[in-house]
Amino acid sequence: MPMNKGPKDRSAKCTVRRSVHLAALVSALATTGVVVLAQSEPVDPRVEGLTFLGEPVLASQVMAGQQLYANNCASCHGASLEGQPDWRRRLDTGRMPAPPHDDSGHTWHHSDRMLFQITKGGVGAVVPGYESDMPAFGEDLTDAEIAAILVYIKSTWPERQREFQAEVSANDTGG
Amino acid sequence: MKSIEIGCRPNRRKVLAAVLGSGLATVLPRLVQAAVDGDPAAPAFDGDTILLADRGLFVSDDAGQTWTAAETLGNVLSLATHRDRPGRVVAGLAEGGVSISEDGGASWRIFEARLPDGEITAVAIASRNPDMIYASLRGDGLWKSEDAGATWSLAMDRPWLDHAERELLSLASVELETGMGGIWIYAGTEVGLTRVPDCFCRWQDVQPGNAMDALVAGEAPPSEAPLPGGEPILSLASAPSAPEVMYAALRSGLWASQDGGVIWQKRASKAATAVAVHPRDETYIAALLGGILKISRDGGATWIETGER
Repeated sequence: MPMNKGPKDRSAKCTVRRSVHLAALVSALATTGVVVLAQSEPVDPRVEGLTFLGEPVLASQVMAGQQLYANNCASCHGASLEGQPDWRRRLDTGRMPAPPHDDSGHTWHHSDRMLFQITKGGVGAVVPGYESDMPAFGEDLTDAEIAAILVYIKSTWPERQREFQAEVSANDTGG
Repeated sequence: MKSIEIGCRPNRRKVLAAVLGSGLATVLPRLVQAAVDGDPAAPAFDGDTILLADRGLFVSDDAGQTWTAAETLGNVLSLATHRDRPGRVVAGLAEGGVSISEDGGASWRIFEARLPDGEITAVAIASRNPDMIYASLRGDGLWKSEDAGATWSLAMDRPWLDHAERELLSLASVELETGMGGIWIYAGTEVGLTRVPDCFCRWQDVQPGNAMDALVAGEAPPSEAPLPGGEPILSLASAPSAPEVMYAALRSGLWASQDGGVIWQKRASKAATAVAVHPRDETYIAALLGGILKISRDGGATWIETGER
């Protein structure tokens, strides 16, 4: 008389089958993962068409720069790099408002070297005696952090502005 | 000085009426200014043709010997032309707005999309782009049109010099590289010379090209001989054929620079109110000296008077 297969026996068989399926899935995923890893881009890829001071720019720099910009620059230059309202009109103090850093401003007319100098040393570092509300960030930020901020700003520009600024930087032999 | 209203030349009756009506403190400085500078007037070269705005527009095709009168759309305070666009003449008007001629001043038009109201103290055409026109609006700032006057936008507020915003009395597009992918716009103010890159980032002093290098290296700054301090710069010109050659009209005389405005030398001692330079010859200039239009073919060393108008 055949043994009566009770609920407990069926359950044990199901458990074994599930384990086999799970193992196969894990194995397949692992294999796939190895293949994907072997074929994928580097973990920190270069940003196409973007350099700073002649060096390639990495995606991680742009991401870090975005955060640094938010923490150090956005309060004046705008969260979306739009600058202060009516930025071409002088303030009552005689100083100019913070200009935009997007393509509506003039930042993309300046070379990498000049942008770095202005950020690190203030506008007076490139125009002696010029009075500006922008502080020199050399005391608060490292060179790498300043570079990251500028790289982030540059990454937001349309192609035409990027190309123009790249040419200005290439021609900047001063200093 | 160019702030004087056209038709308000001082005579005894007008002086008395003005003094009684407005008060000495307000009126006297302008009258004194009138005696020094004469009426507003502006010369320009359109190729070999000389234009002169002086209570009307006059045109000479023989180096100023004879003149013919032409119509204008208002009282012209400043003129600008471009070497690559013969016939185009831009006129800044005392009543406000800029009128433009494409036929050497024979006919004029003003676009509907005008500048804000206010006297246009100076105009200039960008050296590298004859469709880019700059105009300074009294009490306001520097405006630009990228489409030959059809539309206008504010380019930059007035410069801040000696603790105050200063009027732009004269403009010149100077084809010298800024290092920012463009060229300079020089401006004469009530208190001196300034300039701004044509990206309009900031007004700044004229400095030798290697001044920053010297600053960084801690070396002695390059030599400079600026224009006399505190004097209004009534007119500016940069030679299209040699942009580093510049001329400036001041009450102290006509001044010239061979290096883009770093070192200046006086070329005429009579009060100068306006100057223009030929598009192909940097030594051929026309200037109002002591209220008389004179021509020099040697960069201001010698002068000859032009004919009656």
